[in-house]
Amino acid sequence: MMEVEVAGLEAPPQLKGTYDELLAAPASDDAAAPTGTVVRMAASFTPKDNRFLLKNRDYDRQYSQLYYYRLEQMRKHAEEAAQRAWPGIQVVHILSVPEEGEVAIAGTLYKEMALKPSILDEYVKDRTMSQQLGRARFTQPDDRLILEDEGARLALCGDKLPVGECVTGVVAAVRGHVLPNGDFEALDLCYAGLPPQAPLPAVGEDKYVALVSGLGVGDGESSPLRLELLVDYLSGLLGGEQERGQVVGRIARVVVAGGLLKSNADLSQPTAYSSVRQQAAALGPVRDVDMALTELAAAVPLGIMPGAGDPANYTLPQQPLHRCMFPGAAAYSTLHRATNPHEFELDGVTFLGTSGQNVDDVCRYSELEDRVTILEKLLRWRHLAPTAPDTLAAYPYFNNDPFILRSTPHVLFAGGQPQFGTALVEEEAGGAACRVVAVPNFCTTGCVVLVNLATLYCQPIYFDALQD
Amino acid sequence: MLVFQQLEVDYTFGAPHPVYYPTDLKEVPVVRMFGVTEAGNSVAAFVHGFEPYFYVDAPSAAFSPDDCQALAAELNALLAGRDKSRNPRQCLRVELARKQTMMYYQPQPSRLFLKIVLSVPTLVTTCKKLFEEGISLKWMGNGKYYRSTTYESNVLYALRFMIDCSVVGGNWVELPAGSYMLVAPQGHQTHCQLEAHLNYSELVSHAPEGEWAKMAPFRILSVDIECQGRKGHFPEPEHDPVIQIASLVTEFGKKQPAVRNIMTLKSCAPITGAEVMSFDDEKALLLRWRDLVLEADPDIIIGYNIVNFDLPYLLNRADTLKIPQFWTWGRLRNRRCRMKDARFSSKAYGTHDFKEISIEGRVQFDLLQAIQRDHKLSSYSLNSVSAHFLGEQKEDVHHSDISKLQDGNAESRRRLAIYCLKDAYLPQRLVDKLMYMYNYVEMARVTGVPMSYLLSRGQSIKVFSQILRKSRTKNLVVPNMKRGGDPNEGVAYEGATVLEPKAGYYDKPVATLDFASLYPSIMMAHNLCYTTLVPKGHENMFPKEHLTISPNGDTFVKSSLATGVLPEILQELLAARKRARKDMGEATDPFLRAVFNGRQMALKVSANSVYGFTGATVGALPCLEISSSVTSFGREMIMETRRRVMEKYNRANGYTHDADVIYGDTDSVMVYFGVDDTAAAMQLGLEAAEEVSKAFIKPIKLEFEKVYNPYLLISKKRYAGLLWTKPEKWDKIDTKGIETVRRDNCLLVRNVVTTCLEKILVERAPGEACDYVKGVISDLLMNKLDLSLLVISKGLTQDADDYENKAAHVELAKKMKKRDLATAPAVGDRVPYVIVKAAKGAKAYEKAEDPIYALRNNLPIDCQHYLDHHLAQPLMRLFEPIMKNPKELLTGAHTRSIMVTTPSVASGGIMKFAQKRLTCLGCRAPLGKSEQTVCKHCKDKEGEVYQRTVLGVNDLEAQFSALWTQCQRCQGSLHQDVLCRSRDCPIFYRRMKVQKELGEAQATLQRFEEW
Repeated sequence: MMEVEVAGLEAPPQLKGTYDELLAAPASDDAAAPTGTVVRMAASFTPKDNRFLLKNRDYDRQYSQLYYYRLEQMRKHAEEAAQRAWPGIQVVHILSVPEEGEVAIAGTLYKEMALKPSILDEYVKDRTMSQQLGRARFTQPDDRLILEDEGARLALCGDKLPVGECVTGVVAAVRGHVLPNGDFEALDLCYAGLPPQAPLPAVGEDKYVALVSGLGVGDGESSPLRLELLVDYLSGLLGGEQERGQVVGRIARVVVAGGLLKSNADLSQPTAYSSVRQQAAALGPVRDVDMALTELAAAVPLGIMPGAGDPANYTLPQQPLHRCMFPGAAAYSTLHRATNPHEFELDGVTFLGTSGQNVDDVCRYSELEDRVTILEKLLRWRHLAPTAPDTLAAYPYFNNDPFILRSTPHVLFAGGQPQFGTALVEEEAGGAACRVVAVPNFCTTGCVVLVNLATLYCQPIYFDALQD
Repeated sequence: MLVFQQLEVDYTFGAPHPVYYPTDLKEVPVVRMFGVTEAGNSVAAFVHGFEPYFYVDAPSAAFSPDDCQALAAELNALLAGRDKSRNPRQCLRVELARKQTMMYYQPQPSRLFLKIVLSVPTLVTTCKKLFEEGISLKWMGNGKYYRSTTYESNVLYALRFMIDCSVVGGNWVELPAGSYMLVAPQGHQTHCQLEAHLNYSELVSHAPEGEWAKMAPFRILSVDIECQGRKGHFPEPEHDPVIQIASLVTEFGKKQPAVRNIMTLKSCAPITGAEVMSFDDEKALLLRWRDLVLEADPDIIIGYNIVNFDLPYLLNRADTLKIPQFWTWGRLRNRRCRMKDARFSSKAYGTHDFKEISIEGRVQFDLLQAIQRDHKLSSYSLNSVSAHFLGEQKEDVHHSDISKLQDGNAESRRRLAIYCLKDAYLPQRLVDKLMYMYNYVEMARVTGVPMSYLLSRGQSIKVFSQILRKSRTKNLVVPNMKRGGDPNEGVAYEGATVLEPKAGYYDKPVATLDFASLYPSIMMAHNLCYTTLVPKGHENMFPKEHLTISPNGDTFVKSSLATGVLPEILQELLAARKRARKDMGEATDPFLRAVFNGRQMALKVSANSVYGFTGATVGALPCLEISSSVTSFGREMIMETRRRVMEKYNRANGYTHDADVIYGDTDSVMVYFGVDDTAAAMQLGLEAAEEVSKAFIKPIKLEFEKVYNPYLLISKKRYAGLLWTKPEKWDKIDTKGIETVRRDNCLLVRNVVTTCLEKILVERAPGEACDYVKGVISDLLMNKLDLSLLVISKGLTQDADDYENKAAHVELAKKMKKRDLATAPAVGDRVPYVIVKAAKGAKAYEKAEDPIYALRNNLPIDCQHYLDHHLAQPLMRLFEPIMKNPKELLTGAHTRSIMVTTPSVASGGIMKFAQKRLTCLGCRAPLGKSEQTVCKHCKDKEGEVYQRTVLGVNDLEAQFSALWTQCQRCQGSLHQDVLCRSRDCPIFYRRMKVQKELGEAQATLQRFEEW
């Protein structure tokens, strides 16, 4: 028994079809039409990945430049936010913090965590020390925040400090005073807040973008049938007339937010002398991915982003997947091989998203549980990946930080999440508003998320292969 | 009443005190005791009237008081010319004393000695020589020269005072009310808060027991300095300025320092939690620092390598700058410190040259010296020491970078200041972590010597002090024996016994039976001592039943005739240790517990060093009859134990197996009982220990301690085993002679050996160990190993050009000097190197290369060298007992694929003429002009090839990120570049290697055409 369930969360129509209906012989009037052709609505697509593309790479650098640039760029926003939040409080640099009196300081947060894994752990004789490996998160009550600017760092203390929700790399402002032991007692903390936003264009009719993540090809556990269902559905080979016309036909673009392959983590350490042969064995699934992508690209404009387990580089920003791995799909002009993070405009609606590494990393190093909350925090921090490069691997940029949010996108999404979630994040007083979407792993949830360009409503569709 | 804990006892010359030492002398020794009261006030007590003396044999039993006067007059006549003081008399008096010598068993309780009392301590040696050379006793009319052994003429004056007044190092002393005179503050000679004078006879010394076990809140100053060296030179005080001095003052027992101060040359941005003082003039900086020392008035000055670097540098720098007033760091007002070259030579610790700086009233405690003495580590840099004990890496800024930071701005100097402060804080943390203050104070208390002796002198002074104290109570005097001369020429005597090992791999339990405190207990059991030794040829003078003849033929009297001094000292030490351990168990206060723990360790060490003292031919009182008797008894006991165990535990006596003694060394035997069960072996071991103990005289006791299961016995003094003390769970891997901690070994050997042992002993999977070794060897040949595993390092003890022999590190240092003066190793640095491939027939020393240079220029590592010269031997040793043919580890399929890096053009040689051409990434065939990545035959596999390439990049990227962010965390700053060049850090070379390889791998990746 198979079931395709189209569950609306905030969207008005609730459609539900069953196996039998879906596979029923087409009604006579469209018998002439070849199966698989749906009239598909078009939307104008503008990729904006340029700032994430790396042309020439130079690894003779360190990460300090990235932090330096980030602080330089973000300082004014954090200071403005501080002045708005605490009028009359003087904002100073750490080196000029007076011995007495209340001041505000802007700087980069650093979270000192005893459980933070380190490459030095490999050298620790006592093997039991590496027990934190495999932990879901590394927070503990003794974690401490430190504020750092170009000149110095300062240990923060005080009960008012939301240590749990903060992560390393966020540029923030704190208000408080110095204690005799040299620590800074923080009474309050504020972030830069949402960046400005272009007005939401009017898209006259319902048009959808399908966001999917974590196809997990090559994963022995999940059913390949479910992926086939997805492909067939998106290509318009499944479903009744109404379904195909009202939903599938209105899907103007499909974006795969990473996770084409089952994670190939076990191959990432090619040290043993037999590993070359093992690597060769792992190439099989890529062909399966190519087949699926070819079918999709034939039917609908498609963007693919590399994710954590995909054959692309490891550090953020991940560069587009190489065409030579997808000889079939790459032949279609409808296939757009995107970077991760990926930014694009569809009919003037701006999308920005990642394959989820940034959100997962914040989750590991903070006490924030809810992925939607983390996405919201990213907006308020005005930064897409604050934990890069500390715990999230990133390219050592010089005089640049492409992860700084210069403007608020209309939609911010993250792939590879445990479950679907969405919210509308608004700056108070009618400022910017952003739809944030946690796109779950398809291979574990069977979920595809449709975002309506006209309303920014989100609608998950679940595919399930129930077996007797 | 004035009560304080004294930390330093020394003496000075001065005018006699009119009240406490009325005399006609002009210049007399004055003992000074520096210490701290319970309230934390510093005290200087001047103790007057203690006169130096020594003993000689009386020429005849009829020597009269008149003769004494005559002798004193004679001595005065002889000494007058040799006395530099303005004293009218040198020998104050000669007294008659009935004493007995400590040497040899003396049936008579006492005989007549002369006590020669002198005016100043320096005359003791002069006068001693007179007696040794012979002195004419004219008035006795026989015109003969009188020669005599001198007694206790080699006792240092300060120690003499302490012994006679029962003062031990670091104990509490009391100046009873009315017996002393306080000096008004304006009349102070010292910087101490309290100053008092008294006569030595009034001083009350409290034994460090009960309430007097406590510690006073003394002040500890931790120092670190930074200097700005010239390019290519290690800083020298004649040329290079001191640019920063960090000082931390901590009150003993407090967690946090009370003062954190950093003084900088030129401006420095503020540091929260520390006081920053900036100076434009180096002289002002130094003088202000001196003032800080005087204001803080520390009792103890600590630091890392301060004795050989920081302190002498400061003093010499002051000389260069012509500010002599800088030298007044001591507690005496306007008295300069003294500095001289000294050599410390000790059997136990080896020979070291060092600067002896005396800072009056302040004890110096150099952590480097202490840790070198007490711990065997592969490296003693502050970085590795703190990694070892505190579990954290330390940033290490190269001296060329220090100059750059200093020449920058206030913020870069601030960075340096933070670094400097950290370096001053680490010694303090090490002191706390290793409980050094407790342990050293307790050691001083137990052995009775001043604290400062513990670091600057060897073991023997400690035993000597105890012997002197003990013999004093028994009315004995200790002869000053002629030194044995060259220690290497000393009479060799047979050492401890080692039973021939039955090498092999035992996978059944092996029980270890140990003699507890073997040598001390032998000395006690057989009453071995100077005072019980019967001289050769005198054996027949005493009835046989009162004699013990040691297995090597020396004779001692039994305790029925006399108890020895040494056995008594040992008894007291061991009893005190028992007490200390009991007190430790009962103590609830962690401070007190630390005190007791320090004491019980000090007692144990002291008890064990008594034997060594008797065998030290250059020591104060060598007596090889004692030490060789001790070892001969030990040998006999080991053999006896073997005999008894094998006699009892065999099938004939109803046991399931025949027991076998597979190995024995010094104080332990390893018994293979043949049983499978660890618990059963423990039971048997316990039983056997008890059984065998019965055969020996108390307090000799054979103890069962542990079982090894499995046990890998390689050869004499080389074994490894999994140690069990309780049957449920093993404790640890115990090894001897295997893990070569020698630091001129590369890390690879240590890692491989450790991992193999783990696999063999814990997992009991020798097969896996073989596979692992093969994997490592293959990785080595495939150039996949982390370079830091291959780095070998040796210290450069003198300028590279001064070496006469060609050594690898020296040749390399010369080469590096030619390349770049600034980063070349200077004298005192360790030179790390790797062995690279070189032309055929190249000498080993020509193959050494700077690891960084080798990385940058892709110089191929000589893997075969590592395999043959470093890995082969330890592996053969380890696997010989396990495998039939261990050689197969080093040959075979896993050694057939070899990867050699292509050297870059910069490395010269043939590469200058080579032309570069791209090869196919799939099959390595040369590519045609139009091809970028793969040849036409591999075209359809391009996706796979790409994927493999990207995976390699992936791994490197992950490492790059993890490594560089770790370094940022370690240096404690996100916004500043990592400067650290600590070659001791495990990731230093890896960081560079990854950086380079990543660049190359990316270049390969980019050959895949446009996106």
